[in-house]
Amino acid sequence: MPKIIFRLFLSFVLFVSIFVLIQRFLTPDSFGKYGHYRAYSIDDNKARVSYYKGEEKCASCHEDIFDLKDSDLHSEVKCESCHAPKIDANTDCEVMPPIVEGTIDFCGTCHAINLGRLKKGAPQLNFKEHKEGQNCIECHNAHAPWELTE
Amino acid sequence: MGTDRIKNNRRKFFKTSAALIGGTIAYSLIKPLEVISQVEDKPKTTDNKELPLWGMAVDIESCVGCGKCAEACKIENNVPEEPFYFRTWVEQYTVKNDGEVKIESPNGGIGGLKQSVPDEDIFKSFMVPKLCNHCSEAPCVQACPVGATYISPDGVVLVDDSYCIGCSYCINACPYGARFMNPITEVADKCTFCYHRISEGLVPACVEVCPTDARIFGNLRDKKSDLVKFLQKNPTQVLKPHLNTHSRVFYNGLSSEVR
Repeated sequence: MPKIIFRLFLSFVLFVSIFVLIQRFLTPDSFGKYGHYRAYSIDDNKARVSYYKGEEKCASCHEDIFDLKDSDLHSEVKCESCHAPKIDANTDCEVMPPIVEGTIDFCGTCHAINLGRLKKGAPQLNFKEHKEGQNCIECHNAHAPWELTE
Repeated sequence: MGTDRIKNNRRKFFKTSAALIGGTIAYSLIKPLEVISQVEDKPKTTDNKELPLWGMAVDIESCVGCGKCAEACKIENNVPEEPFYFRTWVEQYTVKNDGEVKIESPNGGIGGLKQSVPDEDIFKSFMVPKLCNHCSEAPCVQACPVGATYISPDGVVLVDDSYCIGCSYCINACPYGARFMNPITEVADKCTFCYHRISEGLVPACVEVCPTDARIFGNLRDKKSDLVKFLQKNPTQVLKPHLNTHSRVFYNGLSSEVR
């Protein structure tokens, strides 16, 4: 074999082995276990904290309110639809109870008149005509709005 | 003399061909060289039948556009409150009597969508919740230069926060506009179907809070799940089917105006 070809071949082998070596050190752990990504990243994504706890958790303490809400039209509305948790899921909900003031703006997110939601079951109100902009929970029970308080 | 030359040439030809073929086979067998040849044809990781295959159905006919899902998503996933960062959002489509289509989504629908077109001009109006479509052939995964976004074995398109370099190629590649650059972490961010929740047996936050059950989440492999029942009951469609992304978010009552 001519010397120059041998040198070329040697440098090629050297280049490839250095490349493979460097690649081995730079590739993070578990990369390529399932595919072209870090398999540990799946665990990272699982490890985050969840804020929304689900209805069962709310009902375990507030069973009376849950049953009242669940008894009629608002049964599909979950507790946390209105009471969004502003607290960490690991802290106790008694420390900072999420309070909602049943105002027109709040109830209006579903019940303000909008042609796009007219046929979908939720009653649509023109709040100016309906009791002239009075606060909703002055008349309606907040957890059972089909019941009037007075 | 002449036959000898032909014989020699033939012998040489066979030798060269054998060396070439043998070399090719040896090259494909030697393991370290795989990285150079890039020959990989593994079965898809989502082919494991024992794992769930997550999917979602969105019922446009029930969505009232209250925006609770978009709000819940932001709380659950620490998405910045500014009105241009969304993992999920709700759009209101309004088809006017003159045929013009108006699409609006102020603050992603948080606080309830309000109709800005006078009633007498409206031909029809409906709400469309949008989110990552969790494509089986995800363009964002193909675009990622470092392997920081991927399809998990249970069929969810996820981002590896610690490995993403923030080049935003995936954001440009997504045909649904479902990705954004998170200004706090400075990496790409997107809907994960609340992966931390579904792996604990909970449903995603948007599904949890939806007051009209317009979002149905479940395992596409479980034939008894609510999701499969919904898909069997209703004629559903995916968004942008011509792109062959084979997404796993199915829409019921999708109009042709929806983009």
